[in-house]
Amino acid sequence: MFIRTQAWLLIGACAATGLAHAEKIEQRLTVQPHGSVEISNVAGRIEVSGWDKQEVEVRGDIGPGVDKVDVTTDHGRTSIKVRVPNYTFRSASADLLIRVPRDSELDVSGVSADVRVTDVEGELMAKTVSGSINADTFGRDSEIKTVSGDIVLRGRSKEGANSPEIHISTISGSIRVDRVGGDVEATTVSGDINLKLEPSRSIRMRSTSGALGFEGKLVKGASVDAESVSGGLTVRTTHDGSLDYQVTTFSGDIKNCMGLEAERVSKYGPGRRLNGTRGNGSEEARIRLKTMSGDVELCDKS
Amino acid sequence: MSGNDQRKIGSLRDLPHEIAPPRDLWKGIEAQIATGPKSAAGTPAPGASRPVRLRVLAAAAVIVALAVGVWIGRVMLPVPGGALPNGSGMTGGATGVTASNRPSDEPGAFHAAYVMGPKYINQRAQLVKDLESRLARLPPQSRAKVLTSLKAINDSKRDLERELGKDPSNALLQELLVNTYQDEMRVLTAVHEAGRPGEGI
Repeated sequence: MFIRTQAWLLIGACAATGLAHAEKIEQRLTVQPHGSVEISNVAGRIEVSGWDKQEVEVRGDIGPGVDKVDVTTDHGRTSIKVRVPNYTFRSASADLLIRVPRDSELDVSGVSADVRVTDVEGELMAKTVSGSINADTFGRDSEIKTVSGDIVLRGRSKEGANSPEIHISTISGSIRVDRVGGDVEATTVSGDINLKLEPSRSIRMRSTSGALGFEGKLVKGASVDAESVSGGLTVRTTHDGSLDYQVTTFSGDIKNCMGLEAERVSKYGPGRRLNGTRGNGSEEARIRLKTMSGDVELCDKS
Repeated sequence: MSGNDQRKIGSLRDLPHEIAPPRDLWKGIEAQIATGPKSAAGTPAPGASRPVRLRVLAAAAVIVALAVGVWIGRVMLPVPGGALPNGSGMTGGATGVTASNRPSDEPGAFHAAYVMGPKYINQRAQLVKDLESRLARLPPQSRAKVLTSLKAINDSKRDLERELGKDPSNALLQELLVNTYQDEMRVLTAVHEAGRPGEGI
C-alpha cells in the first residue's frame, strides 16, 4: 500500500514538473504593409493564417527544451524564431499559431515541425525535413521542400490572377496539388505525385519509383514532361488547339485513348512508343512521357 | 686469430664448425640462478611497495577518467541518432545504411561515360562520406524513409546500367540514368543540409 502511494506521488510530481515546463506565449506587433514574415521552429507545429489587420500575432505553447521565442520586426521584415540550445534541440518543441497580414510574403522553415498555411496571399517559401506541409496558394510563386514529409498545396487564385511558378520537391514524401495553374514543377524520389491543375502552361514531374498522375487542361503552347524509372504515369488532359504527344517506355505498357496503337521501338529489342498529334491548330500543346519499367496511361480528362 | 692461426679463408667450409670458449662459463651462470631468487624474496629493498601502490592508483585514475569520459559522452553531448525505435526497419548499424541503400563510393561505369567531371566526383564522394553522420541527425522516421528512397535510387541505377550493358546506345535509358544520378545528388545534398544541427533544408 505504502509503495503504491509512493508510486502515485512520484507520477504526480513528474506530471506537475512537466506541466510547469509547458509555457504559453502571446505576442503582438504592428507591422508595415506588404511585408515579409520569416518563421522558424525546429519541432512541433506552425500554423499561419492571414487576416486583415496590419499586425502579427504569435500565440502558442513552448516545450521544456525551448529557450525563448523571438518576435521582431524591422523595415517590413518580421521574424519569429523559436530559439533552442543545440544540445537539447531533440526534445524542444513549440506549437505556434501565427496570424499575419493577408498580403504577406512567407518564409517558413522547420525540421520536424508540421506546417499549415491558410489565407496568406503573398509568395510562399516553406521547408521542413520530416514535417508535412499543407498550404493554400493564391496565384503567387511558391517553393516548397521536404525530405520525408508529405506536401499538399491548394490553389485559391482569383480569376485572371498571375501565372505563378510553383516548385515542389520531396525525397520520400508524397505530393498532392489541387486547382493550381501556371508553371508547376514537382519532384520526388519514392513518393507519389498527384496533380489536378487549373489551365496550366508548363508541368514537369519526376520520380524514381513513385507513381505520377496529372489531370488538367493545357492552354495553347503548354507542355507536360513526366518521367519515372519504375513508377507508373497517368495523364488525363483536355487541350486548346492541337496536342502533340510522345510516349516512350523501355519495358512498361502503354495504354491510351488517342486511337493509336503503341509500336515497338525496334524489331529485335525491347521498348515501346506512342507518337501522334490530335486536333487542329498551329499552337500546339505538347506531352512527353518517359519510363523505364513503369506503365503509362494517356487519355482525355473525363 | 693471430699468428699461426691466421690463414686465408676461401669459402664458408673453411670456417670451424664450433668455437669453444676459453673457460667454462656454466658454473658462474648456475651460481647466479641458484642465488638470485633467494635474495629477491628475502630482504625487500626499502620503498619496494611504493611502485605497486602507484600502479594501483594509476589504474584507478585511468578507470575514473574513462568513466567520466563515458558519462560526459552520454549525458552532456547530443547522441547522434539516439536509440532506434522498434519497427523503424533499420537493420544495418545505427543509421540503417546497408549495402542496398548506400550509394557506391564511385559512380557507375555508364554514368562515368555520360556526366563525369572532377568537381562532381569530388562533391559526390564527400557527400557519400558524410552520409551516415548526417542521417544520424535526422528524426528516426525521416531517416527510415530516406533510406527507402536511397534504395529505390540504387535499384534504379542497377536496373538501368544492366539494360544499358545490353543496349549502350539506348537514348531513353541514358537520359533516365543521368537523371537518376541527379536525383541521387539531390537526396545526398538534402540529407547533408538537413543534417546540420539547427538548420533546415
